[in-house]
Amino acid sequence: MKITGKVWKYGDDVNTDVIFPGKYTYTVSERSEMGQYALEDLDPEFTKNAKPGDIIVAGKNWGCGSSREQAVTCLKVRGIGAIIAKGFARIYYRNALNEGLPIIVAPDAVDAIEPNDEITIDFDKGEIITPKGTFSFPPFPEFVRGLIEDGGLIPHVRKSLGLE
Amino acid sequence: MGKTMIQKIIQRASGKEVKPGDRVWCNIDLSTARDFAGPNCVLQFDKETEGKGKVWNPDKIAFTFDLEAPSRSEQVANNQKLIREFAKRQGITKVFDVNWGIGQHVLLENGLVKPGWVILGTDSHMNLLGAVGAFATGVGNTDIVASWILGKLWYRVPETVKIHVTGSFKKGVCMRDLLTKIVGTLGAGGLIYKAVEFVGPTIENANLAERITLCSMVTEMSGKIGLIQPNGEVLEWLKARAGEEVVELAEAIKADPDAIYSEEYEFNVDDLEPMVSAPDAPDNVKTVREVAGEKLDQIHIGSCSNGRFEDIAAAFEVLKAADFKIAPGIRAIITPATREVMKQCAQAGFIEKFLAAGVIFTNPTCALCTAKHYGTLPSGDVGMSTTNRNFIGKVGKGSHTYLASPMTAMASAVRGVITDPREIIG
Repeated sequence: MKITGKVWKYGDDVNTDVIFPGKYTYTVSERSEMGQYALEDLDPEFTKNAKPGDIIVAGKNWGCGSSREQAVTCLKVRGIGAIIAKGFARIYYRNALNEGLPIIVAPDAVDAIEPNDEITIDFDKGEIITPKGTFSFPPFPEFVRGLIEDGGLIPHVRKSLGLE
Repeated sequence: MGKTMIQKIIQRASGKEVKPGDRVWCNIDLSTARDFAGPNCVLQFDKETEGKGKVWNPDKIAFTFDLEAPSRSEQVANNQKLIREFAKRQGITKVFDVNWGIGQHVLLENGLVKPGWVILGTDSHMNLLGAVGAFATGVGNTDIVASWILGKLWYRVPETVKIHVTGSFKKGVCMRDLLTKIVGTLGAGGLIYKAVEFVGPTIENANLAERITLCSMVTEMSGKIGLIQPNGEVLEWLKARAGEEVVELAEAIKADPDAIYSEEYEFNVDDLEPMVSAPDAPDNVKTVREVAGEKLDQIHIGSCSNGRFEDIAAAFEVLKAADFKIAPGIRAIITPATREVMKQCAQAGFIEKFLAAGVIFTNPTCALCTAKHYGTLPSGDVGMSTTNRNFIGKVGKGSHTYLASPMTAMASAVRGVITDPREIIG
């Protein structure tokens, strides 16, 4: 799989409260409605203008803070193609895998990518192609690949129980 | 090779020899959800199992209602009803409704948390249960639903960091100040994916409330779990609640003397002074002296970090030293963690004195940590709270929050500006 998209770039320690504001966690329960509030307290430009296929590039510890899965769902339903970061917070990492939102840890690529760049991610080759060059990223550990290949955690669990 | 506490816990729960970096499936001892994300778990479980599914073990599932207790809107009320009906349908009897208080604390008080247990919850501060040696983690709704189907969940075995604490707190300084100091030193990503063991004489002598405070903010350093080996009065307390077997369970998770740690840190609290997390991040740490004098609009004492009886008693002592008077114009809110804590405060005669001083004393709940719940700040206001997060917009768009100890928060309420508690009780 290969995706190409425009970059929205952010810094370190972006927390889930600014990715999906707490005030909507009770009132918005439809997945399809979550996308319109994505990053509202971080970057109103993103909230207004992000397009399907766009790629988020961030620093260390993306998604720290609250356990809310909406912080993944809102970007998934917004059509964000992938998140490349120097690192992800623990709960966010799990939630992203569970939701099937591609996340990539690639510190060198993050440093080279500028806001609004157009970049391509080749998942099969494990490469990120940027205006400043191509960067490779390590494949997911085998265990995690199994989850992704089955389409997320629940299908994986159902398969292991012989329900699929 | 020796094992750390978390390695021993995961080993028992997975039935496998493990080392850091391994990924294994663990049996879940208790899978909980609350009125936040709980309704999503219910809806997702019903969707995945086409409304016909039975949970793997109704006795190992619990619900707590804390973020919105009691409900503040029809939407929330309906969400809570959804949980009550699901529990009834599934035969889940451990439902702690809106009259109980903050989930982790309620589970602890009801003897549902044991050393070495693997526990899940839809609260990123579940890991404060490491205060009694339980391996509790906050997760999203999909992980919870998977555990309800399978009774297991996958874990990556973390590396362990050791934090060794020595010394005694001076008057006006407490465990919260040490915690703030640690968060400032290690930073928001300082413990990423890691387990922590808090050890040393200061920890061994700490009471349960202090241990909870310490473990509650491991999340704010991106850690997985902070663990403290149960001993002394804490173990006795636990035994009285959760049964004799906790002694054996605690023994089984003891770290080996030759266990391997990825990093070790030393802290001494003898000369520690009151600390704050300044706006707008927990790791933006300063001493209270550095920010003293800034005007505050509201202070709040409570939350899963600092809402226990000992925390409220410490605030009470500060107010007492100020002849039970707070500054005109400041809004002071105290929220006990649980109904049990509230009862203790009533029995100690605190509530009457707080009310006479004009303090708002609320029912047990998460209060300000819940967006749009009571205590929300208007744009431009500055608050101080004993909660664990002060991210921008969290307590109201355009407002800013300092995080501090119950003593610092009450001292600041007395003067109406950020105040070092030692000036009042010194």
